[in-house]
Amino acid sequence: MTILSVENLSIGYNTKKGLLTAVNNISFSLEHGRSLGFVGESGCGKTTIGMALMGLLPENAAILSGKIHFSGEDLSRFTEKQWRNIRGKEIAMIFQAAMNALNPVFRVGEQIAEAITTHNPDLSTDKVNDRLKTLFNMVEIPESRMSDFPHEYSGGMKQRAIIAMALACSPKLVVADEPTTALDVIVQDQILKEIKKIQKAMNMSLIFISHDIAVVAEVCENICVMYAGQIVEMGTKQEVFKSPKHPYTKTLLASYLSLDSDEDIFVPDMMETPDLTGINTGCRFSVNCNCKSKNCSKDAPGWIDLTSTHKAFCCEQGLGRKQS
Amino acid sequence: MRKNHYIMRFQKGWKIFIKNPLGKTGLFILFVFLIMAFASFFVPHIGPMYDPMTGTDPNIKVSTYPSLSHWLGTDNVGRDLFAQLLEGAKVAFIVGLSSAFISIVIGTAIGMISGYAGGIIDILLMRIADIIMVMPSLVILLILASIFGQFNIWIIVFIIAILRWPAVSRIIRSQTLSLKHRPFIEASRVAGASNIRIIFRHIMPNVLPLAFLYMTFRVTSAILVEAALSFLGFGDPSQVSWGMMLQWVWKTGHMFQAPYWLIPPGVCISLLTLAFYMLGRAMDEVLDPRLRKEGQA
Amino acid sequence: MTELTKKNRFIIELKGIVKEYSPQKSFFSKCDNRVIALNSIDLGIKKGEIFGLVGQSGSGKTTMGRLLVKLEQATHGTIFLNGNPVTNLTGKALNNYRSRVQMIFQDPYQSLNPYLSISETILEPLNVHKIGNNDQRYEKVIHTLETVGLSPGKEYYDRYPHQLSGGQRQRVAIARAIVLEPEFIVADEPTSMLDATIAIQLFRLLTQIRDKFNMTFLFITHNLAAAKYLCDRIAVIHEGNIVEINTADEIIQNPQHPYTKKLIQVQPGFHFN
Repeated sequence: MTILSVENLSIGYNTKKGLLTAVNNISFSLEHGRSLGFVGESGCGKTTIGMALMGLLPENAAILSGKIHFSGEDLSRFTEKQWRNIRGKEIAMIFQAAMNALNPVFRVGEQIAEAITTHNPDLSTDKVNDRLKTLFNMVEIPESRMSDFPHEYSGGMKQRAIIAMALACSPKLVVADEPTTALDVIVQDQILKEIKKIQKAMNMSLIFISHDIAVVAEVCENICVMYAGQIVEMGTKQEVFKSPKHPYTKTLLASYLSLDSDEDIFVPDMMETPDLTGINTGCRFSVNCNCKSKNCSKDAPGWIDLTSTHKAFCCEQGLGRKQS
Repeated sequence: MRKNHYIMRFQKGWKIFIKNPLGKTGLFILFVFLIMAFASFFVPHIGPMYDPMTGTDPNIKVSTYPSLSHWLGTDNVGRDLFAQLLEGAKVAFIVGLSSAFISIVIGTAIGMISGYAGGIIDILLMRIADIIMVMPSLVILLILASIFGQFNIWIIVFIIAILRWPAVSRIIRSQTLSLKHRPFIEASRVAGASNIRIIFRHIMPNVLPLAFLYMTFRVTSAILVEAALSFLGFGDPSQVSWGMMLQWVWKTGHMFQAPYWLIPPGVCISLLTLAFYMLGRAMDEVLDPRLRKEGQA
Repeated sequence: MTELTKKNRFIIELKGIVKEYSPQKSFFSKCDNRVIALNSIDLGIKKGEIFGLVGQSGSGKTTMGRLLVKLEQATHGTIFLNGNPVTNLTGKALNNYRSRVQMIFQDPYQSLNPYLSISETILEPLNVHKIGNNDQRYEKVIHTLETVGLSPGKEYYDRYPHQLSGGQRQRVAIARAIVLEPEFIVADEPTSMLDATIAIQLFRLLTQIRDKFNMTFLFITHNLAAAKYLCDRIAVIHEGNIVEINTADEIIQNPQHPYTKKLIQVQPGFHFN
């Protein structure tokens, strides 16, 4: 069952330089209980998507076109009042800098309890406490730490508290935006395992956003690779990471250093920063692409289906399937 | 094309500034007063009768209402009030701007040195600043005036500046403290730059905008202090200023008989200080860090 | 010169380096909370090598870098440069040290003064150490810009940091560090704020610079994989202590210390089932 379906979504920012299309005509869907990862470098628009899914776009941003179907509603048309009803309750977010999401003057338990009672004002105190205990157990924070203040928690514990807060009302969809970027590698490993475990146990739908492709590969079943506001490749993680087809995906994977990387890694030439102004129907990677086809920047290359689940937004030449 | 960072920042700031209603109003009022101040240079050329200090209308021996030849009327010895008002504008600008400028120069230098040096120098300088800040400047000036007799306008300017630099230095010191540990400052230290070089080449450009903001507040306070001094009779008797005009209207017993004499200088003092204040508030919006952020696109 | 230095031709050597931070002891408190950032470090870096210092946040790796460029002073212990003790230097000796040891900072958005043009930033070390005349300095800056990949140098000469991307700004930071042709450079997480595709370009640049000038680098990072790619030898640091030093390959293939093993184990990877 499809829980989230995004169609032709474009989001723009009003800046001094004009309209910046941070998200350019993207479409994707998420099945219930599955995890979808968005990976890309800075400026690709992945964080903007996360904010749009929570109704947290800043004042100078606007949804230019497209629809966000969730639970039978179109989120792209939601008013703030409608958002307040579902934010936290049906869709929840795990932010990046968790340390800043916790109010330093309130106890952690109190803050999570507030997340529960905001959407369930009629729950008795006992029931709220029971729920708190369940949540703390789920994220593996000892119950004895419930009444501590945030500064008494370590970085990893704070992040787990944020996860507990996101899960407080058993949301249908969780959006995690770089939840482990600010953490130690060892703590990051624990948190990622935690997220995977919880997702399986609660059969939760998850959207995971990160610039680190290995982190996304750890957690997600399906991947969307983004560049300059466009999705350039999508598929299962095996398909995208084992047999990448889009030139950008290949560059991104080639630049990733792992412990078993070779000495000779292909180092890309200096890339031009893509032009995000205006809405354009062409491929924004074409300025950096080695492909011989000259038309990509203007004429939309299409979506080329590689398998039933794997597709790339490119032209035949770019994929290397045809000599031009 | 080389675009100096100062020019660029100024242009960016200007666009924000000019959209702010306070900025627009303040600038407009200031402009009007500036014209008045410039006009005061030409007035005596119209005729010796119009000199604000010495000009007297041979036909008029008492204070008169506004008329065609005297747009605001005359004071009790027949001097043109409008000419005096214009002269007052000039004096206000001179006093306000010079005093503010001197206190900013002193305050910025001390603030930067104190913030950057830290330690005992910081403690000493800031304690001196605290002591001065606590002193009531008007009272001090009155006391000094009563001891030494009436002051020349430039002495007044200078003393106001000396008494008012501490507020500036505190702000500049805070700003310096936060800049001190920024990577580009540390990079200069690693390159081998001396402390003086770092203070004047790296820290100063980053604190100057703030210094200019505070200058606008210093201008208002300087104008007010000078006006108060003059009103109380301790100002420079050879200078016509708005405060002086108020003193005369009071001393000669015309406070309730000559509204055309009483009201204009008072209104001018209020309006001019208000204008500078508005300017400061609008600049505040320009300098707010959230607007200053430079990050990834 | 220590025996070890002579034998291994260490350009930089640390012996028994301790760095403690203690809060201000005032009249009213007898507080004894010292934070020990570095706990008796012994380390030697060979000339011409890229030496990696891998640790997580709070491990002391940044502190060590700062000690080496004299942004901080060691509490105990000695630092040697080419066998000469350089722990406490002032005046001319400090200036001389500064011309031979430089640093590349982490944040490209904060390590360049926004009010100075690119040329002014790179000229600063030359001005401070009074090297060459105006024409020679100009040539040197242009040449250095091109060495770091900002070609043609003339185009970047008068630009300002806000006109450059993160990767370009970091190249300027590298240019500033190498313009005096120092012997030793501390690179403190130079790519952690940049995208992967840009980071890898900068790694290649650092290797090229090392090869061209025979410079020695201390590469500080939290990313073990990056250290393995770039460095000849690696030291792993944890809570102020060096737990293991070895060649890059050996550290990854034969880790000895449990902490190193843990670090290797938790590297996120592509696990396909």
